[in-house]
Amino acid sequence: MRNKKLKTPLGAWLAGGSLGLIAASLLFMSGIPSRHLINASEAALRKPAGVAQLIAAESLPAENSPMCEWLPASAAVSWSASLQQSPGADSDDAAAEREAIRRRPPLRVIKDQYASYSAVAVDPVRDEVIMSDESLFQILVYDRLTNTPPQASMSEPKRMIGGLDTKVDYICGLYIDPGSGDIYAINNDTVDTMVIFDRDAKGNVPPTRELYTPHGTYGIAVHEADAELFLTIQHDSAVVVFNKSAVKDDPPLRYLQGENTKLADPHGIALDQKRGLVYVANFGSVHYHDENLDNPSRPMYSRGEGKPNWPLTRNAAVPGSGRFYPPSITVYDKNAKGNTPPLRMIHGPKANLDWPTGLAYDPVDNELFVTNDMRDEVAVFDGDASGDVAPKRVLHGPKTMIKNPTGVWVDRQNNELWVASFGNYTATVFPLNASGDVAPKRVVRSGPLGRSALMIGNPHPVAYDSKREQILVPN
Amino acid sequence: MADSTSRPVRKIEGQKTKLGRTMHTIIYDPVNDEISVPQDFAHAIMTFRGDADGEATPIRIIQGPQTMLNGPERHTVDWVNNELYVPQGNEILVFNRLDNGNVAPKRIFKGPDTKLGADAMAVDTLNNLLVVVGPYEREGLKIRMYPRTAEGNIKPLRQVGGPKSMIKRLGGPFALFPPKGRIIMTMRPAEAGVLGGDDSFTGIWSVFDDGDIPPHWTIGGPRGELIMPRGVALDEKNKNIIVTDKRLNAILTYHFPEIF
Repeated sequence: MRNKKLKTPLGAWLAGGSLGLIAASLLFMSGIPSRHLINASEAALRKPAGVAQLIAAESLPAENSPMCEWLPASAAVSWSASLQQSPGADSDDAAAEREAIRRRPPLRVIKDQYASYSAVAVDPVRDEVIMSDESLFQILVYDRLTNTPPQASMSEPKRMIGGLDTKVDYICGLYIDPGSGDIYAINNDTVDTMVIFDRDAKGNVPPTRELYTPHGTYGIAVHEADAELFLTIQHDSAVVVFNKSAVKDDPPLRYLQGENTKLADPHGIALDQKRGLVYVANFGSVHYHDENLDNPSRPMYSRGEGKPNWPLTRNAAVPGSGRFYPPSITVYDKNAKGNTPPLRMIHGPKANLDWPTGLAYDPVDNELFVTNDMRDEVAVFDGDASGDVAPKRVLHGPKTMIKNPTGVWVDRQNNELWVASFGNYTATVFPLNASGDVAPKRVVRSGPLGRSALMIGNPHPVAYDSKREQILVPN
Repeated sequence: MADSTSRPVRKIEGQKTKLGRTMHTIIYDPVNDEISVPQDFAHAIMTFRGDADGEATPIRIIQGPQTMLNGPERHTVDWVNNELYVPQGNEILVFNRLDNGNVAPKRIFKGPDTKLGADAMAVDTLNNLLVVVGPYEREGLKIRMYPRTAEGNIKPLRQVGGPKSMIKRLGGPFALFPPKGRIIMTMRPAEAGVLGGDDSFTGIWSVFDDGDIPPHWTIGGPRGELIMPRGVALDEKNKNIIVTDKRLNAILTYHFPEIF
């Protein structure tokens, strides 16, 4: 309800009284209903009280009645123009206001202040452990025996590589050259470039070498004897193999892709160097390609133009060919190429995979280590496992401090298993045969003990849930 | 009111969710209390309950050969007219909002006169417009306005682009505020291939603009705080805009009453 108020200071009241008499004469002659005239008369005779007085009230139309009519887009331009500023005709004040708005700081910022480990690799020769950080975009190098005390908020790394010149963005896979100590790091789907740094690189330095990769690399493994580099490609469900020393526009040696391969959103990759086997962890989402297609509105990513052995990409995607499959581990001969079926698969309810992300292989005990991101666990399978089989053992529980693990590394030289947990700023070290809910031998932390990471990684769209007043952000 | 000390209130994640990378839109439908996202890898559009949490399963999935979905990165929902739109380069597929499974689009908007380069889009149900952003051949990035029910080979009603418009490289999905005809959209650095640049900004244009029109307001560059902005959402009640920045790896909330 809206109240009509009239302020009546003394001077105004006097003037109003004289005018009221004239108005009353006119009203009586105009046939206006008597109730309205009585109201008007009472208002005219009201004495000043020194404060605002309610002199009349009337109801507004019901809320579902039209308050004002929205005009359609086809309405006159003058109406639409009235809604707009005129950027080309600013007054000085308007220009100053626009400049002030341009410089306006945010009210609030949601951002993690700490590094979040996404991948881990050990250099046993030089006794260092290297972690990638997808929160603040860094590669962090620690002494291998670092052990963050519980009361400390974090451990300082020995060296850090980060900054715009490094091309270090969302690094999700790491490999350390056992001979040179060079650091191989793959960016996920934002740079399409693998970067390689000398082992002693630090700061905002350009990579020593770069290799242009297909879009959406996730996992990395190297067959040292054959000097071959294996990368998984999430977006087009493929594995590409490069020469280990490939640089820039060097093309792949071969690739594995197609419906028969059962590759589906592949993530981690591991090699059994001795037997020449490749293990790949698959989330299960996939679509297929036809080499005869070339959709001009979805051009292939430019990195691959004119290069042989480049996997088929989005320009050759078959519309409507998408599928969801259960998660799996697929196993191939290391020299497999094209649309070759896996030698075997680990999948099914007993395998209990849930976003299987990181993979590592122990050649001595023939064991395959799988991080199940969603289960906060590392599942260990026999290297020859096939079909719907349960893991031999599972490392899981609050004592392990494993939370959303995305990286895993077998350090056979020191008989240690490293786990990078993206969910709690923590990398944990266990004996290779650890099982169940056991405390780690050592812990390296980049943030406070027991604190959950924000886990923001490549925020792109955002929505506002006005019902719950929540911000929705996919990563 | 979340800031850097906050933790997620809830997370939708895990195998049963069927989520994948390259979710380049997320739509909250306030009328039906639903969340929807595209699934690029599996050629699908998935809808969840508005209160979904943990390993929630989608309540509807549009997927299959008849859908013609081809790596959908973005989509939008018209909860007034119960339609769901998927921009796919030179075409826009329109489904019923409640479609589920292997269903064909109810109409397709496509053809040379459309000049569609449909990277991102939104529906303005108040002014009956489709607002589409993307490049068309060599014309560069533009905002194009079409009738909301456009079908077939329809010319744009209006288009905004050119050097004065500052529309160069789209940051990500954009937002509309129909009562004032606002288009709120981010621009990433003008230089291609860089990881970030302080010339990035969030700009405000109008659905009534036509031609090479500068943004009505901007927040950010040159020498701004944003370095690789992506998506935008509106908190109308508090008169805020919410912007994601990929390289800051952050979500920033700006008070912006002028646009509401």
